[in-house]
Amino acid sequence: MLGQVLFSGLALGSIYGLVALGFVVILKATDVFNFAQGMFVVCGAYLAVTALSLLGLPFPLAILFIILGAALMGMGVHAALIRPLSGRPILSIIMVTIALSIVMRAGIEILYGPAGRTLSTPLPSGGFLFAGLRISQLHLTAAAVSWLCMLAFGLFFRFTSVGLLMRAAADSHEAATIAGVKVDAMNRLAWAIGFTLAAIGGLFLGQLQIVSTELETIGLLALPAVVIGGMQSIPGAILGGLLVGVIEQLASTYISPKSADVMIYALLLVILLVRPWGLLGQKAINRV
Amino acid sequence: MSDLATPKPAAAPALPRAWPRRFILWGLALAALAYLPVLLTERMIFGIYLSNMTLLNLGLSQVNLMLIAMLGALSLNYLTGCAGLISIGHAAFYATGAMSAAVIGTQLGLPFPLVLIGSALAGAVMGVVAGLPSLRVQGLYFVLSTMAVHYLVAYVFLEYQFRVFDVVGVPFGTPSLFGFELSTPMRWYFFLLALVALVYAGLSNSLRSREGRALLAMRDHERAATSLGVDVRILRIKAFGLTSAIAAVAGTLYAHYLSNATSESFGITFAIQFIAMIIIGGMGSLKGSLIGAALWLLLPSIITGFAAGFGGGSGIVGSMLGEHRAQFVQLIFGLLVVALLIYAPGGLVSIGPKVRALLGRWRKG
Repeated sequence: MLGQVLFSGLALGSIYGLVALGFVVILKATDVFNFAQGMFVVCGAYLAVTALSLLGLPFPLAILFIILGAALMGMGVHAALIRPLSGRPILSIIMVTIALSIVMRAGIEILYGPAGRTLSTPLPSGGFLFAGLRISQLHLTAAAVSWLCMLAFGLFFRFTSVGLLMRAAADSHEAATIAGVKVDAMNRLAWAIGFTLAAIGGLFLGQLQIVSTELETIGLLALPAVVIGGMQSIPGAILGGLLVGVIEQLASTYISPKSADVMIYALLLVILLVRPWGLLGQKAINRV
Repeated sequence: MSDLATPKPAAAPALPRAWPRRFILWGLALAALAYLPVLLTERMIFGIYLSNMTLLNLGLSQVNLMLIAMLGALSLNYLTGCAGLISIGHAAFYATGAMSAAVIGTQLGLPFPLVLIGSALAGAVMGVVAGLPSLRVQGLYFVLSTMAVHYLVAYVFLEYQFRVFDVVGVPFGTPSLFGFELSTPMRWYFFLLALVALVYAGLSNSLRSREGRALLAMRDHERAATSLGVDVRILRIKAFGLTSAIAAVAGTLYAHYLSNATSESFGITFAIQFIAMIIIGGMGSLKGSLIGAALWLLLPSIITGFAAGFGGGSGIVGSMLGEHRAQFVQLIFGLLVVALLIYAPGGLVSIGPKVRALLGRWRKG
């Protein structure tokens, strides 16, 4: 029983980690705490519905469609909403992402109707027994792909020249500008990556559940994940995502399904009070 | 935003001549406010019947709900706009109010004035608790702590509802204030109008007091305020306690007005709508919160009215107004908030003076 719960918790947690990673990329690059990340997940799921069910694209092409679509939308959001608001107080920026999620939700419900849709992909969906555990292949695939994406992104960030430029831009906009980095392009790229990672999470979450705008609440679990892990830390986001997934599954199995949220947010509150910089984050030092 | 902090220069010599006109305007406004519920109930003016369209499809209950929302928007704007503390946990205080009203009123059966006092106290206590993380964390982290508080309170409400009552929700009886039963929308209207006026006057007066000035100073520059001897920690907690007491009272009234409350009534979107209201109206302006709440509560039914007026229409507009009305309203509000944030961060109240200045320039030039 416990092993089963831990397995599904870790598998879901990997997806949350992926979404949270996208969140941190955006946060690091542009200092925007993106409350629309949950809707980005929903967008990914609906992009998958569009590509697979409505357009009937073959699976590899559909994946390309989702990634390109998500990247374009990410750049669009950055150009239309985030850049005009740079340097504004924190509430304006938080609120613009909340307003964006309201607009996206309404738009999706107008375009696709408020009813949920099922998403079927050629990904393996059976299950097998392993060491007494029922392993769902879909969960396993989701976790594997999430880890692959995280690994690929980590390598990109660490070893490619564009990754280096992105890190420089995130570190200090002014210094990077002086050194000739096109900070604006880097920020746009960060939004594209953040949106794409969320969309991939949405592809899997949509398949594990039903595709509807309700997926937003699941996508928003990336927020506590990020804070628990440590705001500015990429490994922290992944660890936070895993923790949130495991806690969610444990709480809904052993206490009640409704208690899952409160357990996650209680942990968030404890972390905020005891260790505000998160498990793996670095303590910010206030200099006078 | 900093223009709030500077007191308006008193035009002392001109005052005596300005008095009568001001009196007349006040009198007219009061008369209009007193006549409004009659107009909305009888739906006629000087014996001439008015169609639904002329009245913008508005009813008295929307106006009453708007007045209740004004209380919430006023308190959130005081907290966020004036004290600079961002809170996504406003629904939690509404829920606290509704819950304590259920305990005091529905379960113990105590009279309504006691219910109001009790829920205000419970709200203040809850506000102090929710404000405690502000001693340790700031900015974004604090926003998240209010969100965490929201989920904790929502869970308690859920448990309370299902332990004591059932799926249908928590029932609330007809409140009665010293023999004055709030049984009709008309009675509610006058009670709520008086309450909103009282809260508005109280909050705007408190902004002119020593502590109110300290609050604004804290918002504009925390370290400068501290160096001038303001204890920002205590001040923050006080602001939180005061505003959440108001929000809890608003929650009590909301629950009583709808005569039922469930755990779904006070979700995170409920909290977000108040943030949207104060951004639409104008951050840091108490007048703005009234405008924002009015727009937020009345515009949906006005749009619905137009949809009915066009007979459903055809094509894209028709389907937008007919089938997807709720989504359409959300879309409009979302875009309005985005547009205001980008082009007029001061909200609708900041547009008025701008337009006037533009007109003045145009007239001169």
